Amino acid sequence: MSHSIVGLFCLVLTLIGYFASKALYKRQRKVWLAPIIIAPMAILITVVSLKIDVSDYFSYTHYLAAMLAPATIAFALPIYRERELIKQYPLTLSLGVICGLLLGLGSSWLLVKLTNLPPELSHSLMVRSVSTPFAIEATGSFGGIPELTAMLVLLTGVIGMLICEPLFKVANIKSAIAKGVALGASAHGAGAAKASEIGRQEGVIASLTMIFTGIAMVLTAPLFAALLH
Amino acid sequence: MATFAKINRKNIKHCLLVALQVTGFCGFAWLCQTLAIYINSPIPGSVIGLTILLLLLSLKLIPERSVSLASKWLIGELLLFFIPPVVAVIKYQALLEHFGAVLIGAMLAASTCVLVGTAFTVDKLFKFEHKMHLKRQAAKTVQHVDQTMAVAEKVLTLPKTSPTDLAPKATEERQAA
Repeated sequence: MSHSIVGLFCLVLTLIGYFASKALYKRQRKVWLAPIIIAPMAILITVVSLKIDVSDYFSYTHYLAAMLAPATIAFALPIYRERELIKQYPLTLSLGVICGLLLGLGSSWLLVKLTNLPPELSHSLMVRSVSTPFAIEATGSFGGIPELTAMLVLLTGVIGMLICEPLFKVANIKSAIAKGVALGASAHGAGAAKASEIGRQEGVIASLTMIFTGIAMVLTAPLFAALLH
Repeated sequence: MATFAKINRKNIKHCLLVALQVTGFCGFAWLCQTLAIYINSPIPGSVIGLTILLLLLSLKLIPERSVSLASKWLIGELLLFFIPPVVAVIKYQALLEHFGAVLIGAMLAASTCVLVGTAFTVDKLFKFEHKMHLKRQAAKTVQHVDQTMAVAEKVLTLPKTSPTDLAPKATEERQAA
């Protein structure tokens, strides 16, 4: 009985934390107040300080996590809507996706080789550059753990969002499509959100790249896992 | 007051419509996942669902507006759906406390590589493909102009039909009627 009350409390806490952080960001547009940073942190801190058990936390909130599957399906609409753009630059987009995917996997693999992280972490790292719903599907192939993968994906998104602008300046990247593809391929949803702040076209391209990179990751993960192990 | 009530009713209708469409999406996602398990598919159900929906939209079997509201909502609130798995990392608290700093440093380096590498490659590629695109567009324009010229020439070289040639036909038709 008390367990289900704690579970319900956690669901309400998550919802309030999420929508409050969104409302806050609408008023105060500071990078460190972005919902992707503040919402998980606030909820995590509350759960830890109240000493709530993970299984209790998950008892109702797993319905929220289950929504990742319909959200993946919903990505069909942006692809359909932007079909003209895809027809216009098929080469740039597809090679951008391949390049982003290979660099993402390669850099994670190299990172694992250079540091000696425990296997739970290193296996969960491989899919970190694609959007969460795809990453959670793909991480099993590499032997990753869904929860750690979700956190590493989130961290990658935040890092990409924070370092993109100085990097573009240093590397002298000016075209909208290059910025969009790079953000979508390296920092998924957070990158796409950042790209839409830079410009509309950048945002659309970043979302498309994010979706295609995610699909490509899910489809090729078993192959790469076999290759790298 | 009246306008407020009107707006409110509109809002409720909108919310209900979103809820209905989202429920539809959930049902469809469940179907696809069940199918994926049933046929032992290596591709996850959600990606199968994405492909099916894209096909249905492209073949105009379902209208765009029947999925647009839910699609916008689901993609917009994506962060909410992955907060629970992120919070669940407290299971691995000790692990993260021990390796956190190394992890973040290494990820920073790796993300820099991906961002710069991809942006650089795409920048070069785009310049090439944009040129190709412009060339194609120019070729199309030239073709179009050629066709127009051909039509124009045909029209101009057509034997002139005077109104008197048409007149007898018209009277014949009137008689027939």
